[in-house]
Amino acid sequence: MEYKIGIDVGGTFTDFLLTLEDGSSQIYKVLSTPRDPSIATMAGMGEMAEDRGLSLKDFLAQVKVIVHGTTVTTNAVLTENGAKTGLLTTKGVRDALEMRRGIREEQYNNRYENVRPVVPRYLRRPIDERLDYAGKVLTELSEDDVRQACELFKDQGVEAVAICFMNSFANPDHEQRAAEIVAELMDDAYLSVSSTVLPSIRFYDRISTTALNAYVGPILRRYIQALLKKLDQAQYKGILLIMQSNGGVISPQAAQDLAAATLLSGPAGGPKAGITYGQVHGQDSLITTDMGGTSFDTALIKDGKPLVTTEGDIDRRRLALPMLNVVTIGAGGGSLGWIDEGGLLRMGPQSAGSLPGPACYGLGGEKPACTDADLVLGYLNPTFFAGGKIPLDPDKARAAIKTHVAEPMGYSVEQAAAGMYQVINVNMAAAVREVSVKQGADPRDFPLVVAGGAGPNHACMIARELEIPLLLVPRESSIFCAAGMLMSDLEHDFVRTYPGRLMDVDIGRFKDIFSRMREEGVRLLETEGIPEDRVKVTYSLDLRYVKQYHEVNVEIGANEVDQGLLGAMAERFHPAHFELFGYELSDAGTPVELINMRLKTIGKTDKPRFAEEEYFGADASPALKSSRQAYVPSADEFQEVNVYDGAKLKHGMRLSGPAIVEQVNTSTFITPEYSLVVDRYGTMAIYLPAKEQEVLGRIGQ
Amino acid sequence: MSKPSIDKVLVSILQRRYKSITEEMSIALARTTRSPILCEAKDFVTGLYDAKGRMLEQCENLPILAFSLGPVCEYLIEYYGDDIHEGDVIFHNDVFSMGNQNNDVAAFKPIFWEGELVAWSACKGHQADIGGAVRGGYNPEATEVWQEALRIPPIKVYEKGKLRRDVWELIFANIRLDIVPEDMRAEIGSCVVGERGIHKLMERYGREVVEAHKEHLFESTEKMMRAEVAAIPDGVYHGESRAYYDGKNPGSVYTIRVTITVKGDEIVFDYNGTDAQTPGFVNGTYTSSASATLLTFLQMVNPDMPHNDGMIRPVTIDIPQGTFLNAAYPAATTYGNHLCPNNADAIMRALAPVIPDRVTAEWNELLCSLTTGIDPRHGEPYVDIGFMGLKGGSGAMEGVDGYDHIGMIDASGGVLDQDYEMFEQQTPHRLIRHELWTDSAGAGRWRGGLGVITEFIIGNDDTQVVTFGDGDVEPAFGTHGGGEGALNVIWLEYPDGERYLCTTKDLVRGVPAGTLYHQDAGGGGGYGNPHLRGADKVASEVRDQVISKEAAREHYGVVVNDDFSVNEEETKRLRG
Repeated sequence: MEYKIGIDVGGTFTDFLLTLEDGSSQIYKVLSTPRDPSIATMAGMGEMAEDRGLSLKDFLAQVKVIVHGTTVTTNAVLTENGAKTGLLTTKGVRDALEMRRGIREEQYNNRYENVRPVVPRYLRRPIDERLDYAGKVLTELSEDDVRQACELFKDQGVEAVAICFMNSFANPDHEQRAAEIVAELMDDAYLSVSSTVLPSIRFYDRISTTALNAYVGPILRRYIQALLKKLDQAQYKGILLIMQSNGGVISPQAAQDLAAATLLSGPAGGPKAGITYGQVHGQDSLITTDMGGTSFDTALIKDGKPLVTTEGDIDRRRLALPMLNVVTIGAGGGSLGWIDEGGLLRMGPQSAGSLPGPACYGLGGEKPACTDADLVLGYLNPTFFAGGKIPLDPDKARAAIKTHVAEPMGYSVEQAAAGMYQVINVNMAAAVREVSVKQGADPRDFPLVVAGGAGPNHACMIARELEIPLLLVPRESSIFCAAGMLMSDLEHDFVRTYPGRLMDVDIGRFKDIFSRMREEGVRLLETEGIPEDRVKVTYSLDLRYVKQYHEVNVEIGANEVDQGLLGAMAERFHPAHFELFGYELSDAGTPVELINMRLKTIGKTDKPRFAEEEYFGADASPALKSSRQAYVPSADEFQEVNVYDGAKLKHGMRLSGPAIVEQVNTSTFITPEYSLVVDRYGTMAIYLPAKEQEVLGRIGQ
Repeated sequence: MSKPSIDKVLVSILQRRYKSITEEMSIALARTTRSPILCEAKDFVTGLYDAKGRMLEQCENLPILAFSLGPVCEYLIEYYGDDIHEGDVIFHNDVFSMGNQNNDVAAFKPIFWEGELVAWSACKGHQADIGGAVRGGYNPEATEVWQEALRIPPIKVYEKGKLRRDVWELIFANIRLDIVPEDMRAEIGSCVVGERGIHKLMERYGREVVEAHKEHLFESTEKMMRAEVAAIPDGVYHGESRAYYDGKNPGSVYTIRVTITVKGDEIVFDYNGTDAQTPGFVNGTYTSSASATLLTFLQMVNPDMPHNDGMIRPVTIDIPQGTFLNAAYPAATTYGNHLCPNNADAIMRALAPVIPDRVTAEWNELLCSLTTGIDPRHGEPYVDIGFMGLKGGSGAMEGVDGYDHIGMIDASGGVLDQDYEMFEQQTPHRLIRHELWTDSAGAGRWRGGLGVITEFIIGNDDTQVVTFGDGDVEPAFGTHGGGEGALNVIWLEYPDGERYLCTTKDLVRGVPAGTLYHQDAGGGGGYGNPHLRGADKVASEVRDQVISKEAAREHYGVVVNDDFSVNEEETKRLRG
């Protein structure tokens, strides 16, 4: 037998998807161990071995690939527990990191403080050196300044050093020389050099990204080395890959070199999984949603491609590496309901977390969470939550809702719970709306792919709110990101800045820059076991009209690069600009300006194959488990609702809302407007009547 | 389930939806406008109003626009009476009929449902040009409105769905730049997005339900605001602040006098006694000044409050006409928004003794510059608004240090400074220094926000430098024992070594390449006795060079050793 494992370390649970050669798969979930996440990682694999009557060693001997999404870097930033970091930067601008271009995100809140910089001021050392806007040396590098800074760093126990000089995107020499000196004087230090990490224009973006990379570098290095050691001890001989924020995977070595690339990798598996599940239904444009314990992530996928941004932030700090554009809001099963000063019901963003958790967990939580409302409304089965592992106490849920929501509003507990349910749904719908309209997209045209433990209970209501006619709930929805990791390719992103009018570009230099990035990418993939003939390369440019402030990333063809077809590249820009902003200026003759050249190398990985089920017929009654009273929003009353066993719902089976489908790790509420059919991979397609023919046709029925 | 006729959950949902609609209007506008001050600096507001002109929700982007649409909406309703029809679109900017600033041109669209007016969607953004004597509308030499702008008292550009082409062309024949009509079209587009959102609500819930729940929403927010006001002790409080130099008469000083009366759950801001209007352009309009009052007050209450009519019901703002906060026709008023810091200053001074836990010490007042010229690298003109130089510190408040490098209170951190490297690409200048300014913050148990020092070398001959602002005479005040922030200053050092000190409303022509531009943006005031600031904290700020050793000793009574530890003994002696 040959296995592949996707591992997603979350705040509450570590999720695993184990896939077999025959296409079958199995879900595992263990409680996360935040102090050393590798404990939960190893425990989960231990459970898999045990289920097969094997020792860990014998089990791992059959595992070919482990793809690991880790949040150690993310947590280090969120808890401000990164490495002690020093920063070398050009004299005169050392505060850029802290000043963050002068933004205060909450403008009416005078108690809203700035975030602490990842490098304190006394460790941000000004270096005498200067390059002009084109990279020409104005002041030579003061090597003495670098040496003196290193002395201070050593003295202060600095573990990581970031180097970012003005205009180094145009000339890396000073940074590289400074790095040599640091390496010489501080041999253990983790080095993060801006002209390597992110050689593109925009000083704040670059210095922040480079400093973050240094701040988490030693943390990730320690974690990966510990994990590799544990795997080594268990004589694991397969491949370990690490998930990145851009939705691709990389080798452990590459991850350690560019630790910041993992900073927002948590939700990045979602869009990747969404693409795979959407394909079966002929949908390559869709919206993914993932509602977990504390947060709700949503992302837009257009034409089979997830949206990528280079303007990401982690805890208000700029991270300008390419990453999947996932919008996150504070809405999850743990989101608390409360009454504001004006007497209005609000949900979140405060969350009960996993400890004490929602009141119904019986772990001491007294405040009412979304899960409590879901339980009172009948969507959750108190004896079958997490497959029965976590018994839920409806009385505690009712008591919490009564005290904190129902009584202050003068409502019954049921009315209050229904209110909580509706308010959080409207909040999530607003986030989905935002992610689509910001891109000029109409959410009605995008099927919703639903994931996360709490997601499927709320999805129909979100879809109804946005008039979305089709939803897809994969069987693996509760461990969606872990599944997505197994569907990710090896990806490396490269960028170089070449500012100027596009039509004035020197073709020789232009091609040379691309070919050097390409070589670098091919070489990296080679070290990851991908031969050159399996490498896919994509080219893109960040373009704008002259005097604009932001660029649009436009993919260009390899042939256009080879033949230097600048006009063709400009032609691709105008419609892309129109789609995003509703206008373009090709007729006005406004020149197009080039800022960055980007290249991505992709090494295709072998994807797990998902088993196809036989057609079982449309009759879902074999899966009917029971019925119970549940709140039906459109009728505004409790009705007797059929409950189906998700494990017994097979390919072809159809049912109509209102209905509840219970699975081990999630439960789905289908509102009366929607119907459901199971496709050949076990994904539940939930649709409005108008979509019935289309849905059934697309999945071959 | 049977429910009372008012479903409180629906009230919550309605509030979220209104907000969502105005946000969507805002996204639409940011996406489709082209002037950088709109799509980049987001100097615009979108809002929804009911048939009576009462604010349903707003997305203002910059706090100074918090109050800029509502008064106009009320004015339009009165002006047009029953001459409002489905398909109308109305433009407006006139500062003598409730406009806030000449360049801020509003579009209003009445929204009808089943033949009746049910709401208005509106937006207003700072247009790149609005006619007048000077391109861009910023004319420090103006003494009357026509030298500043084309006045647009309300005018229908669409009537019953039909474009009034002659009217449209009359307006834009008087405006220099082609992107202005485009950006005004974008404003209309944003209003359509708002109309669509309101129609959806009506479709889904029915007009009567929406109307009833809307009233309840107003009441709920009003209740929140009344509770906030009621928490302020009853009384009559006076505050004064000064604005320096009207751009005409060196040494001139104008005083804002505000009397704030709190009685139960109502609050009145009365500006009787404020000095008469200035002969130049340093004058406010009612709407810009009232916006400044409101945004200052909103920073003293729960920041989480919905922005609707209920929020402003307990607040009365009286600004007599003819004062420099509400200049009478036909005064020049372009500077009006920049009087916000002075206005905030007076309010903070009045309320500091009364609600010590909610006021801040004074924020650094704005001093801004603009450089223009020809970039010798390609021979094309450039304009640079010096956001980088202008961001001083905010005032401290009880429990919280001021915010470093935040800039004027009217934006409260809503406008970003330039990226340094883009600055060097887009202007011929070279940045020398942009750093937090040691000892610029007012000392205090909670210190003020730090100011910044900015220096760059001017890269082209015949550069023009324009300055406008204040804060070079009177520092940001500290409160409850806190110290003052540092002053603003801009000077130029010419290549021959001569130094020219700019005034705060200056126009310097013919500045040669190689000149050093230097700007200090001062810090905010401190809060509380500096001797009560943790000595360890002071020592670590000395290590960070945020505070000098000398200032630590002099202002904070903390003696810091060479290894940046606290000299406990000496400190104890100084602190007593």
